[in-house]
Amino acid sequence: MATHEEITGSLQAFGEGYQKNKKLKIMNKDWDRVILIKAADVDSQHTLILKNGELTVTEGTPAGDPDLVVTADSETLADLFYGDITPTEPYMNGTLVIKGSEDDIVRLDFISLMIWGE
Amino acid sequence: MSEVQLKKVLTLRTVVATSAGLTLSSSTFVAAVQVAGFLAGDAAWLAILTGGLLCMTAALCFSELNGMIPSAAGIRLYFSRAFNDRTALTVSILYMAVILGVIGAESYVLAEILNEALPSVPPMVWILVMFLAVTAMNIIGLKLAGGFQDTITYGLMLSLVTLAFIALARVDFHLTAPMDTGGAMGLINAVAVGVFLFVGFEWVTPLAEEVTHSRLISRGMLLAVGLLSIIYAVFTVGMTATVPRAALTGSPIPQLIFARTILGDIGVVWMVTLTLAASITTFNAGLISVSRFIYASAREHVLPPVFSKISMRFFTPWVAVFTIFIIGVAISTIVLFTHRYLVLVNMAAAMESIIYALAGLAVIVLRRKMPYANRPYRIPSGYIIPGVSVVVFSILALAIFVTFPQVFFYLTLGLLICAWYVSRVVPVIKQKYQAKKSAARKRRRPMIQTTKAGD
Repeated sequence: MATHEEITGSLQAFGEGYQKNKKLKIMNKDWDRVILIKAADVDSQHTLILKNGELTVTEGTPAGDPDLVVTADSETLADLFYGDITPTEPYMNGTLVIKGSEDDIVRLDFISLMIWGE
Repeated sequence: MSEVQLKKVLTLRTVVATSAGLTLSSSTFVAAVQVAGFLAGDAAWLAILTGGLLCMTAALCFSELNGMIPSAAGIRLYFSRAFNDRTALTVSILYMAVILGVIGAESYVLAEILNEALPSVPPMVWILVMFLAVTAMNIIGLKLAGGFQDTITYGLMLSLVTLAFIALARVDFHLTAPMDTGGAMGLINAVAVGVFLFVGFEWVTPLAEEVTHSRLISRGMLLAVGLLSIIYAVFTVGMTATVPRAALTGSPIPQLIFARTILGDIGVVWMVTLTLAASITTFNAGLISVSRFIYASAREHVLPPVFSKISMRFFTPWVAVFTIFIIGVAISTIVLFTHRYLVLVNMAAAMESIIYALAGLAVIVLRRKMPYANRPYRIPSGYIIPGVSVVVFSILALAIFVTFPQVFFYLTLGLLICAWYVSRVVPVIKQKYQAKKSAARKRRRPMIQTTKAGD
């Protein structure tokens, strides 16, 4: 089981990877989304905000309703955002549950692919 | 913890339109006259309504599975939990291959219709134009909006009912032999092929992640199947009442013959518009489903990594989309030269029956395996409905195999190839990925986690 701090660390690593990728920022310029990341086994919630191509990570829930809700056990979330596993594997076995539009879910996977590779 | 609401959610109207819209296609009319061809009297309605009723049992099974596991991964995940991952993957790959066949049959039927309306343009040109248009749409990332889908589907349903009533009024129709099926085997075959009329109603389950409650998907599916049952029944009776059955069953474009018979050139224009509308949604949805499946399979190292390449400009899985373009055009070309589109239609009907039987079995297995899992929707009356789904759809698949042995041959061959691929090739791809990954980089997550996790 991962801790809240470890998930925060993984999201920061994800955010740093995103910041380094200029192309990704340009591609997401028109994709403004609020993503809630929830751990199913520990009390841990984070919010990813994409606005004008910039990504910010905050702890806790968003002010309004999110566009996407990503839920998984803490271990999976930490591994996922550190890029040690692809989102598709836990998604296909049901460990990772994402609520939101299918297009947004695919876009999130694309972003992960571009940050961490295959 | 309170339930989080999403900014955008889909309504029941769009869920019904999506479920019914994916089902309504050019090749469904071919299947509808095939249903009539198996029966002696005016009993096509009976076979279609029976097919619809049976599909409702499958819809109930999908509702329970979807409520329990609300994921766009659909059958891949349901079957993996119920049976095992290898079975789920084998069946999913085969199912996607059959859908590719349906796309091929669909483009052929549509090309024949457009060629009939504009004979100067050969069908092959239409096939290429359609594939190029839909491929370009998918590579660029253009999507049909929900409102557009709603308008097309409800407009189409209304048009089909209107055309049917015009036809029935013209011939002052009276049911002469409404229950005359001509024998039990004819009825079984008619119902089996009738299942094809509803192929795709369950493709709405990936929307589970976009609705407020999974019950909306269940209601949407049931409503769509119910509405379609009535519309198909009325339309098929209308067609067979006005056009000789032999002229319809021998043609890949029965709906156009029917429209021309009752309304002349206006009917042709009307039907070409309807068919184009019906096909574009099914065609596009099929292409999106298969391309995403290919992309996701590459991402989980089931297919070579090349299939997970994405367009840096449009954020779309262009290699997966382009692969479907190549395979789709190849299938359509083969169908164009052999005219054996019915094999694909029957293969889809058999495959769909197998999927519905497996969905029923998955409900039963999961109730035993995970009796305390959260089920927002549970089919009433215990095991009766899933049991009926397993037995009836297995019989229907067998009926298709007995009547069309080549369908059995192709599906068995496909199953063997998929099983071989999953058991022999997939482990090699996964091994290669692991070796490449270990050589390329160390685990990013700080090692402290592994000791804490105890692994």
